[in-house]
Amino acid sequence: MSTIGRPLARVDGPAKVTGTARYAADVHLEGLTHGALVRATVTRGRITGIDASAAEAVPGVLGVFSHLNLPRYAGAPHPFPWGKSHYPLQDDRVHYAGQHVAFVVAETPEQARHAAGLVRVDYAAEPASVRVTRPDRGSAAAEHVIDAVYSTPMQHHNTMEPSATTAVWDGDELTLYDAAQSMSWIRQAVAATLAMPEEKVRIVAPYLGGAFGCKGLAWPHVFATAVVARAVGRPVRLVLTRAQTYTSHGHRAEAVHTIRLTSDVDGRLRSLAQTVTSQSSSYDPALCYEGLDASGYLYTVATEPELAQRPQVLDVDTPAALRPPEGPGNFVLESAMDELSYVLGVDPLELRRRNHTDRHPDGTPYGTGKYLLDCYEQGARRFGWHRRKPAPRSTRRGGFLVGQGMATAVHASYSAPARALTRLTPDGRALVRSGTQEIGGGTYTTMPQVATDALGMAPGAVRFELGDTWFPPAPTTSGSMTSISVGEAVHHSGMAARTQAIALAVADPASPLHGVSPADVRIQDGRLLAPNGRGETYRQLLSRNDRTIETTGDFTGDGLNSHSWGAVFTEVEVDELTGEVRVARLTAVFDCGRILNPLTARAQGIGGAVWGIGFALTEHTLLDRNLGRILTPNLSGYLVPTEADVPTLDIHFVNHPDPTSNALGVRGMGEVVATGIPAAIGNAVFHATGVRVRDLPITPDKLL
Amino acid sequence: MKPFSYARATDPADAVALAAGEPGAAFVAGGTELTNWLRDGLSSPALLVDVNDLALTELAWSRDTLRIGALARMSDVARDRSVRLRLPVVANALLASASGQVRNMASIGGNLMQRTRCWYFRDATMPCNVREPGSGCPALDGENRWHAILGGSERCIRVHPSDLAVALTALESTVVTLGTGGSRRIGVEELYRLPGDTPQIEHVLGHGELITAVEVPLGAFERSSYVKVRDRRSFEFALVSVAVLLRMRGREVLDARIALGGVAPRPWRARAAEDALRGRRLDEATVEAAGEAAVAGAVPREHNGFKVELTRRAITKALREAAG
Repeated sequence: MSTIGRPLARVDGPAKVTGTARYAADVHLEGLTHGALVRATVTRGRITGIDASAAEAVPGVLGVFSHLNLPRYAGAPHPFPWGKSHYPLQDDRVHYAGQHVAFVVAETPEQARHAAGLVRVDYAAEPASVRVTRPDRGSAAAEHVIDAVYSTPMQHHNTMEPSATTAVWDGDELTLYDAAQSMSWIRQAVAATLAMPEEKVRIVAPYLGGAFGCKGLAWPHVFATAVVARAVGRPVRLVLTRAQTYTSHGHRAEAVHTIRLTSDVDGRLRSLAQTVTSQSSSYDPALCYEGLDASGYLYTVATEPELAQRPQVLDVDTPAALRPPEGPGNFVLESAMDELSYVLGVDPLELRRRNHTDRHPDGTPYGTGKYLLDCYEQGARRFGWHRRKPAPRSTRRGGFLVGQGMATAVHASYSAPARALTRLTPDGRALVRSGTQEIGGGTYTTMPQVATDALGMAPGAVRFELGDTWFPPAPTTSGSMTSISVGEAVHHSGMAARTQAIALAVADPASPLHGVSPADVRIQDGRLLAPNGRGETYRQLLSRNDRTIETTGDFTGDGLNSHSWGAVFTEVEVDELTGEVRVARLTAVFDCGRILNPLTARAQGIGGAVWGIGFALTEHTLLDRNLGRILTPNLSGYLVPTEADVPTLDIHFVNHPDPTSNALGVRGMGEVVATGIPAAIGNAVFHATGVRVRDLPITPDKLL
Repeated sequence: MKPFSYARATDPADAVALAAGEPGAAFVAGGTELTNWLRDGLSSPALLVDVNDLALTELAWSRDTLRIGALARMSDVARDRSVRLRLPVVANALLASASGQVRNMASIGGNLMQRTRCWYFRDATMPCNVREPGSGCPALDGENRWHAILGGSERCIRVHPSDLAVALTALESTVVTLGTGGSRRIGVEELYRLPGDTPQIEHVLGHGELITAVEVPLGAFERSSYVKVRDRRSFEFALVSVAVLLRMRGREVLDARIALGGVAPRPWRARAAEDALRGRRLDEATVEAAGEAAVAGAVPREHNGFKVELTRRAITKALREAAG
C-alpha cells in the first residue's frame, strides 16, 4: 500500500508542541553574546553623529557598531533574488525609517537592549515620500466594460517566530543558526558579502516558526551579526523584536491597481488590461513582487492581455514577496470579473466557465494538468451555489445582510535543482537528507512518505533530516516549489538505493533472491520479494553483507514548473448597522496535482484560508505619510485573524496526479491556497450589501 | 528597557508607602499593560511595587452595591454567576475585552489604568504631547481613523481603550483609592482627565495612590446591553462601543444611561442622548434622536468622520438589544 496519500500525522508536531524543537534562537553555545539593533527615526537623510558613550558604559556591553566602526563588507550587495541592493551600517545614508543604524552587543539580551536605547544618533533629515500615488480617476462600469481602480495595502508577514540569527566563528569558518527559508541563497550571499568560499559557511535551520516570504532572502541583519561576531571574537545572537521585523526583512508593497475588462454580450472576454503600481525602494527601483502573470493565462481573452508592473520609487525599504505574491493581482482580476458578472447579469461562476481555457498561452493544451472545471463543479456542489439568489442585498438573517461570492484561485509553481541523499543501513532503516527547509508546509512529514514508497518500506522506517547546508543542496522553500523539486530528488535517491539493494540481493548466493531478475523483484514493507514469494528484509540483506547503501537523487528542473488552480466560495454576514463582516462559511477546492498527505494538505488549506481572510478583512500596515513611519509594528496594531474570525472551513483537493509537473505528479500548494480567498470574500460582501469595496481591507467604515 | 528595582507589597498601606517613598515608582498587578510600557519605553519606573499579594480580589455584594476588589482578575469577574445575572453589561464589556489569556492575568484596577492605544503615543521615538508636552500631536493631521471625535483638544485626540470603564461609567460606579492622605472615592467618569491644554495629565490619581476597589450600584436598571464595534472579532479595541442601561414601562423609557467608548479620551457619558430617551416611547424617531444627540458637537478629522455615523448606529443597535 502506498504511503503517499495517507493522512500521516506531522512528524515535527510532538517536538513543536513540547518545546523541544530548537529554533534559531534556541541553540545553546559557550560564550554566547547578544545583539540589539538601533534603528533610524528619520525617513530619509544622513547620520551626522553617533554618541555611543552612554551605551558603552552599560555593564556587560562589548561593543557598539555603526558605519563609523563596523568593518566594511568585502563584497557588493547580492540583490534579488538573494537579497537587496543596500547594506545599512556601511555608510551614513538613511534610506527609510527603521533602517538599522547601530548594532550593540552585550553579555545579556537585557543589557544589549538597554544600551541600544542609550545610543544617541543625530540626523540631517530630508523630505521623504512613502505612499503610492493614486490616479485621479475613479471606477466606472458600462454594459460590457469594467474600468476600475483597486488598492491593496502594505502588509507584513508576522511570523510567530521573529527572525533570529546566531553567528559562530571557528577560525575562518562561519556557522549561522538562522531562521532561513532559503539556506542556499543565504549561504551564497553571506559568502559573497564576506568574501569567503561557500564551503566555509554553514547555515543551520532545522525549524522555522513561519516564513511567508520574509525569511527567504539574505537580509542585512544576518551579515551584521556575522561580522560583529568576528569583531568581538564570541558567538553573537540577534533576535529581531516584533517592531524590528517590520523594517528588517521586507514587506508586501502598498499597491494601486487599474483594470479594464471588455466582453461580448455573453461575457466572453474581448480584452483585459491590468496594471499594478507598487512601492519600491531607491536602491531596488525596478522590483515589483506583485505578479500579474496569471491575468495573462487564466482566461480565454480575444486579444492579448496588456499587463504592466510599475514600481514607484519611494523612501521605503525594498519590498519582499509575501505569500502569495500573485494574490493582489488575483484579487483585482477576480473582483473585476465579479463586477462584470453583475453588469452582464450572468452568474459569476458561469462567467468563469464561459471564459475557461484549456490551453497554455502558447496554444499547447494543459492536458491532464488542469482540473479547474472540476474545482468549480465540486466547489459549487459542496457550497450549494445553485441556491444563491442573484440580486445583491437579497438576503437578510437577523440583523445581518447575507451574501455569497466566489473567485478563481490560481498560482504559479516554480522549481529549482535539488538533491537528496538516501542512506540504507544494516539495521534495515533509511536516513534521507536534503538541505531544504520546513516552513510549516509539512516537508518533515511528506518527504519520508516519498522515500518510504520509493524504497518499499513500511511507514516509520525512514528518518528525514533537513535544515543544514552540510546536507545535499536544495533550493529556497518558496514559490511553491518544495514538493516538486525536493520531492522528486528524494524519490530518485530512494529509487537508486532500492535498485542497488536489489542488485546486491540477486547477486548474493546467500539471498533467497539470488539469481532472480532484478526487474522481477518487488519490495513491500521493507521486504524484498521474488515472484515465487520467497524473500528477505532490507535488514537481513544489508546486515548479512554488512553493507550501507548510500545514493543521491537529483531534480534538475529550473524555473516555472506548472500552475495550480482552485475555486473558492464564501458566505459572509454583514451587520446591517455597524458594517462588521463575518465570514460565515467557506468552501475551497484546489487542483494541486497529487496530494502527498491529506492532513498536511488540509493544514496548508486552512492556513491559506486564514491568510486570505486577513488579507480581505483585517490586515494592513499603517504608514504615516507625514512622518514616513510605520505606526502599527506589532500584533496589537496589525490585525491578523483570530479564531473568532475564521469559520469552519471546507477544504478539498481534487487530487489528480499531474504527470507533466514532476515524477510524483505533485504541484505547488503553499501559495494557491491563499489565493482567491480575498476576492471571494469581497465578492460576497458586494452580494450581501451592494457595496463594492475596492480598497482592502474591508473594514466596517467602508460599509456604512 | 531600563533597569529597575522591584518590591512586593504585603498590604495596601505597605504598597502606598513603598510607592510614595520613590518618585519613580509604579504599581504592577497583572502586568499585561505595564510591561508593554516598559518594553516600549513609554515609562521607565525606578521601582515596581508588586501588589499581587494584596487581599483585594473579593466580590462583595450588599443590598445596593457590588464592591469589586481591584485585584480581581477580569476573567473571574466576567464569569461570576451573579455578575452575569445582575450586571450583564459588566460581564459583557469584560468578555469583549482583550483575549482569554490577557483577561486571566489582568486586574480590574489595572484595566481602568490602561493608557491610550494611540500609535503615536505607543512609539517612544515619535512626537506626542502626552509623553513629551509640546512635542506635537501627529494624529491631528495623520492617521487618525481610531482617534477621538469627542472631548479631544488641539493638543491630543487620544481615546481611552477600556471597555470595562464604559460599562462602569454608565452604571455611575465609583473607584475607591488609598493614598498617602488616606482613602477617597472618585466617580469612574471623573477618574480620567480630558486632554485640554495639559494632555500629559491623564487621570486624577496622585503619585502612590492605589485603586483598592470599584463600587457598582445595583438595581436601578433592569435592561442593559454592551455593543462593541471593531475591526476584528476578538482581541481588538473598539472603533466605537456603547453601554446602554434602560428602565422601561412597556415601550416607554423611564430612565436611560448611555456611555460611549472609542470616541473620546475618557468613557463618554452621553447625557443629551439619555435626555432624548427619558419619558419617550422607544420608537425609531426616539432612537434616532438619541443617536443624534450623542454626537452633537463631534469634531471629526480626516479619517475618523465615519465614527459619527457609526456611533449613531451603534447606539441604535445597543438600544434595540437592551429593549429586546
